[in-house]
Amino acid sequence: MKAKRKGVAANSKRTPTVRRIRPAIAPVSRPRGPAPFPPPGGRAGPSSASIAGSSAVSSASASAPRQSSASSSSASSPGSPSAQAGAPALDALGGRPVDLGVDLGRGLALANPVIVASGPFGYGAEVTDLVDLPRLGGLVTRSTSLKPKAGQPAPRMAEVPAGLLLGMGPQNPGLELVLERYASVWARWQAPVILSLCADSAGELGEAVRRIEGEAGIAGLEINLSCGGGGRGGAIPGLDADAAASYVAAARRGTDLPIIAKLTAQAADVRAIARSVEGAGADAISAINTLPGFALAADRRGPALGSGYGGLCGPAIRPIALRVVWEVAQAVDVPVIGVGGVASVDDVLDFLAAGASAVGVGVAALADPMLPVRLADELADVCRSLGVAAVGDLVGTALPARTGPASTRGAEWAR
Amino acid sequence: MRPFGAELVDRREIGPGQWLLAWHAPAIASSARAGQALHVRTVEAGGMPLRRPYAIATADASSGTLTIQAAGRSGPSGSSPPPWASSLRPGDRLDLAGPVGRPLEVDPRARHLLLIAEGPAIANLRLLIDEAVREGRSVVLLYGAATAASVYPSSLLPDEVEYVVATADGSLGHAGTVADLVFEYEGWADQSFAAGPTPLLGGLTQLAAGRKQRLGVATLGRKRGGGRPIQPGSPEARRKSFLQVVLAQTVACAAGTCLGCVAPGASGSVRVCREGPSFAADELDWGPV
Repeated sequence: MKAKRKGVAANSKRTPTVRRIRPAIAPVSRPRGPAPFPPPGGRAGPSSASIAGSSAVSSASASAPRQSSASSSSASSPGSPSAQAGAPALDALGGRPVDLGVDLGRGLALANPVIVASGPFGYGAEVTDLVDLPRLGGLVTRSTSLKPKAGQPAPRMAEVPAGLLLGMGPQNPGLELVLERYASVWARWQAPVILSLCADSAGELGEAVRRIEGEAGIAGLEINLSCGGGGRGGAIPGLDADAAASYVAAARRGTDLPIIAKLTAQAADVRAIARSVEGAGADAISAINTLPGFALAADRRGPALGSGYGGLCGPAIRPIALRVVWEVAQAVDVPVIGVGGVASVDDVLDFLAAGASAVGVGVAALADPMLPVRLADELADVCRSLGVAAVGDLVGTALPARTGPASTRGAEWAR
Repeated sequence: MRPFGAELVDRREIGPGQWLLAWHAPAIASSARAGQALHVRTVEAGGMPLRRPYAIATADASSGTLTIQAAGRSGPSGSSPPPWASSLRPGDRLDLAGPVGRPLEVDPRARHLLLIAEGPAIANLRLLIDEAVREGRSVVLLYGAATAASVYPSSLLPDEVEYVVATADGSLGHAGTVADLVFEYEGWADQSFAAGPTPLLGGLTQLAAGRKQRLGVATLGRKRGGGRPIQPGSPEARRKSFLQVVLAQTVACAAGTCLGCVAPGASGSVRVCREGPSFAADELDWGPV
């Protein structure tokens, strides 16, 4: 047994299993010193991404090898060589601003990767005095349908451990009124507005998309695949690869706007759904929507929510969202937007490392409307302290190298 | 309504499981009006990801303090403060936002105010008592509780208030519900305000509608002749309604965007955080009572 293990170690020199960042970082000559790569599986607590990121220090800051080899903390510590040299503002990036920009494809460029997920900010116009809107990476609106929807009866929210159960029903005034009321407002905003659409059928979605085509102020569309029918037996389209593809294809036929498909983690295999919506023309994928849950009223005589079932969101679903982002990012080539329980910059870094190009903030923005803007600032600070010049360099750092089919890994392990 | 840090001044138990928390929050204390709420960023590990709304029970602009009443956790060894407040000591800071929502509207000509509350919902009307007493109005508070032990302490009320208590088990005051007491006082009252469980509020709404029919045009504030029509839900309309209620609900965003805190209204759903938490009783749909 011991001999076998030695054999593996010898092999690993030729085919290293260490996690490498994607070649977005130009592999400049590596500085000498201790190898900054973490041991496989050695992710410890919230600093996971900083471990992943420290590998970037080594290559990006080749001009200051002494500083980089001492890892990120030295850049800010007062006793570090750079502070003694009398250059307090100078860091591993030499004072250059961090490039937080994200391109989600088809011209949908975000100033930073932290966007507001569908829901908390409604249509955005209601929170202009609470939020510094121009500094948002983007804003996804409340899910809107072609016809007005009254939503579910009250109560619509129930408190659950580390999360929230929501039974809103996509209450909205209908696409016509939304465009009339908000499109001209959005057109004046700096932050891109992504209109979330829900529809009972692919045909209805196509009709809605054709209605939107040509409207100013809409930077992109998010297709909510967790409402409406279309799947087998009237199930939501997000459960069925064919139904999901038919929704996205219907939208694709009607518009040249960027299309983001919002997946649900309820699907048996989200990778299949992701591949199928990518094939149908989605420019990006966002994951995940809320998960169905149930809570009882205080007197236990019925459900806590007027709608019966509710959608679970908040930190409770973060591990599930991370899993889905991790899987989808390996299955498709389009960018992934990670959504689910993001509440701190560590969560943002986790999602980026798991393969998300951008991150959506949901419930946490309800309690703290300025959180998305602050997360973007904190992300820039983290990048700076890691010496990462562009936030894209942090994307997918935790993903296994795509050298071959994923299924062979199990066989290798057994050998 | 931007959130900011407020300092905990005092915290004490005023009844079984009911805690009074006093905060130093001058900006909110000076602008708060009866019927509005405070949005508290409660911090619990793995707990509520939202702010919790609490009625502003008292607000003192001169000292900049305000109080909220919060349900504690009762265990075998007595009760402890609400989980989110148990680790807070006077001097600690917490993130508060407010005031949330719209206030109760008192007609300037109303002399006699009838307040009806049951259980901890008294906190929703507590500030109205202070305001009314300051303005020289007569206040009768009808209060319902399960037992004498859980009755709101009269020491926390101004002396000017006539305090009438009903307990379910008859251990103090009238044996029965607070609704039984209303008949004696509603003829005296110019306006009434209620907070409590939905069945109580629904029943009171029915009573108020009956009173309107009975008294016809003799209700306060009814103008003779024309004048512009009053928009239902506007402060004017609320000032002229006999019964106003305060609803308690989970409020998520308090900005009116999330549509999570809706209540059934007479014409479509209304948001507790924007149109409420204070409503004229006839703005709401109480269903079959």
